[in-house]
Amino acid sequence: MARSTSSAPHYPGSTAPQAPAKRAAAPERWDKPFSADMGETDVDLLLAHPLFISTQPGRFPASIPLRGILKNDARLRRFQKGEIIVRQGDYGHSAFVILDGAARVFLKEPTAEQLGHRRQVRPTVWGSFKRWLQRPRFAEQTTNRRSAAGLQMTRDGEARIFLQDVPGVLEPDRTALLGPGEMFGEIAALGRTPRTATIVADGDTQMLEIRWQGLREIRKYSPEWKQQIDQRYRERSLRRHLAETALFWNLSDEALGLIADATRFETFGEFDWHRAYNREREAGERERLEQEPLIAREGDYPNGLLLVRSGFARVSSRYNHGERTESYLGKGEAFGLGELVAGWRGKFRPLRHSLRALGYVDVLFIPTAVLEQHVFPQLTPEQLAVLTKDLAPASAAPQPDHTGNSFLEFIVAGRFINGRAAMLIDLDRCTRCDDCVRACAATHDNNPRFIRHGPESGGVMVASACMHCVDPVCMIGCPTGAIHRESINGQVEINPDTCIGCSVCAQSCPYGTIQMVALHDDAGLPVVTEETGEPIRRATKCDLCIDQPAGPACVNACPHDALLRADMRSFDDLNRWLRR
Amino acid sequence: MAAPLKSFAARRALLSLATLALVGALALAAWLGAAALRPVGLYTGWLLLGLVLLLAFFNARKKLPFLPLLNAGTWLQLHVYAGWLTCFVFALHTGARLPGGRLEFLLWLCFIVVAASGVSGLWLSRWLPPRLARSGESLIYERIPLLRHRLETEAKALVHQAEAETKSTTLADFYLRELGGYFARSPALLAPLAGDDADYHRVKLELAALRRFLNEREAALADQLGELLEAKRNLDAQRAGQRLLKLWLFVHIPLTYGLLVLIGAHVWLVLHYSHRL
Ligand code: HEM
Repeated sequence: MARSTSSAPHYPGSTAPQAPAKRAAAPERWDKPFSADMGETDVDLLLAHPLFISTQPGRFPASIPLRGILKNDARLRRFQKGEIIVRQGDYGHSAFVILDGAARVFLKEPTAEQLGHRRQVRPTVWGSFKRWLQRPRFAEQTTNRRSAAGLQMTRDGEARIFLQDVPGVLEPDRTALLGPGEMFGEIAALGRTPRTATIVADGDTQMLEIRWQGLREIRKYSPEWKQQIDQRYRERSLRRHLAETALFWNLSDEALGLIADATRFETFGEFDWHRAYNREREAGERERLEQEPLIAREGDYPNGLLLVRSGFARVSSRYNHGERTESYLGKGEAFGLGELVAGWRGKFRPLRHSLRALGYVDVLFIPTAVLEQHVFPQLTPEQLAVLTKDLAPASAAPQPDHTGNSFLEFIVAGRFINGRAAMLIDLDRCTRCDDCVRACAATHDNNPRFIRHGPESGGVMVASACMHCVDPVCMIGCPTGAIHRESINGQVEINPDTCIGCSVCAQSCPYGTIQMVALHDDAGLPVVTEETGEPIRRATKCDLCIDQPAGPACVNACPHDALLRADMRSFDDLNRWLRR
Repeated sequence: MAAPLKSFAARRALLSLATLALVGALALAAWLGAAALRPVGLYTGWLLLGLVLLLAFFNARKKLPFLPLLNAGTWLQLHVYAGWLTCFVFALHTGARLPGGRLEFLLWLCFIVVAASGVSGLWLSRWLPPRLARSGESLIYERIPLLRHRLETEAKALVHQAEAETKSTTLADFYLRELGGYFARSPALLAPLAGDDADYHRVKLELAALRRFLNEREAALADQLGELLEAKRNLDAQRAGQRLLKLWLFVHIPLTYGLLVLIGAHVWLVLHYSHRL
């Protein structure tokens, strides 16, 4: 986004990660290929397939050959009629290409039950009273050993989810047919956004599934793929996303189209950021910040606007020998707008801050020219005044807020900014009475779904409770889609009927808030599988009391107003709460 | 509270004013009633019963978390201000005198203890938490014994390491003389009220004084011992503070039940002898 020394080919101003990798060795991820079953003959067949006929292997660097990508980052999968390939709302880390057979994409979504989710019941007082009356004597007691309708386990332990009531649901007027050669799922995989539609196999179908890393490399080194992926992204997703962005609200369709055509996009950081995050936790904050991929550099002159499409970015500025966090940006937020507007009005200003990727960030870059033509002239004088205020270089003194800068640094460093309902405890008011824990147990199978303990800073604790993240890493890779986002308020919930206890989510959660628990029968004995006699386990976590009419029991039970389920996207609200 | 709370101070001012207004109104009504020769004692008695039941219902509310019956934060506010009001009604009812009968005296005492424990509990609940928060990491009460054991084990391991590496028993002797006792001891009941932990400061000072007799390696290990010492100080503070925060409720709640029983007996007796029953 700026005139800088960067050598990045298509994204001025960025120094990292899309700059060509200078690795000699094969990527580390290839130590663990996507599928162990992918043989050399499969790769040969794929390379000869029309899909890859025009892809020139010579464009790929020696350390990341196309052959290696197909061998290690792709796999072949067979689906049966009615089997769900991707489901609306789920998070996925891979894209699919139909090799043989067909699939149907839903134009009108099937019901939650047909998709293997539980029906959402409106919480009622009577319902929660009944649950309280029938509360189990033992923790995690269950009589239900049946798995959910539609869930099938294969002999090698793989879970498959089938659509319920297939003939009725797969009517042609509700679905569109996808044939061989068609690709889907790449937008969600690269942009780390939820799947936008449900797609099921229409008869026996063979698919090529490519995990995101491989897809990112293919897009980078094959102009044909890049063009195809970007084109579809522009058509299907970008326009809608731009239309949802406040800055473009009052633009005509035509202007929006022109902006979409000019927009470039890029991803920064690692999709699996949670693993690196856990590894680097011990590292000092300064080293960690320096490792964060730089998206835009303080002091450079901007030549376009950066819009965060998903993920988070840290806004920082130089302060003595280090960098001070000023704020953080999430989905839909813009960087560099004030400077651009000032430039448009004739006062060129360098960027006051740097922007760095926190984890995985998907950003849009909109060049200045289209903005000056279509957007800036629409701004009202008041908007202009607000935007160009505070454009002096960042002041040396930390902002005066209640907690000072340390709390901001703390929540950014700990990545708690990801939380939509993080459990914050005001330790100045908490009497450690544990009423919150008891209330949680009383409303959740006699087992509290959080631990009243966690990192603290400035008298505030972030307790170990599911934060219902904006970017729910836990949902990536759930084999049955049991962990999903509720459509009503966006809570992340685990369907106990389809959870197979594989613990992928528990291992993925960077905050360690998902617990694997053993189920108990009426006598308090562990429930075991019939085949192996092993205890049946299930992933549990806070569901934000989705079935309680009064909302989260932990908040309601706190006599001292010490507990907040905080939406960390709003730092102002947070500050207000801390300053009560 | 349903509406987002602006500030604790504003809420406190508002509710205190409201309570004072009620106290004034009740005082006036009692004075007028007495002048008009109405059975004011009977009225204040029923009012007191109602208020005590309301206060005691807080316990039931906590046991039924599913009820959308105002949240516990609102209940506590209600409890505290209704509590102050109840103390006033109690004074009206008893005429601020010691009662004559044995049951009445018991009842009187019981009320006083419940109310006094409530007031001191409220004070503890506001005074201790910030001090615990500044003391160090917040610990889960039930895990403290385990953590203490872990600290002790780590300290012993360090001392053994020092002995093995440096062939000197200076740190080990110090452990036997000072540290062992400190790591094993548990804090006094009212320790959090006494301010700084004198014992900790003394042991820390001794450890610092020992430094000039240590070589470099021993000094490094002594620094690690110092960190454990600090962890133990926080552990004691958390333990004693949290214990006190729980302990007062062991007076407040059981005596509430006692109070309810005594009130039942008192009401029955009064009504019986005034031939209303
Ligand atoms: C005299 C009549 C009173 C009765 C019958 C009474 C009864 C109760 C009961 C039953 C509880 C519930 C405890 C639990 O279940 O955890 C409670 C808690 C409490 N009461 Fe009272 N109370 C009285 C007066 C007061 C007064 C005068 C105050 C202070 C002004 C007070 C302050 C408190 C506080 C701070 C709590 C603890 C809340 C918590 O941390 O959970 N009480 N009381």
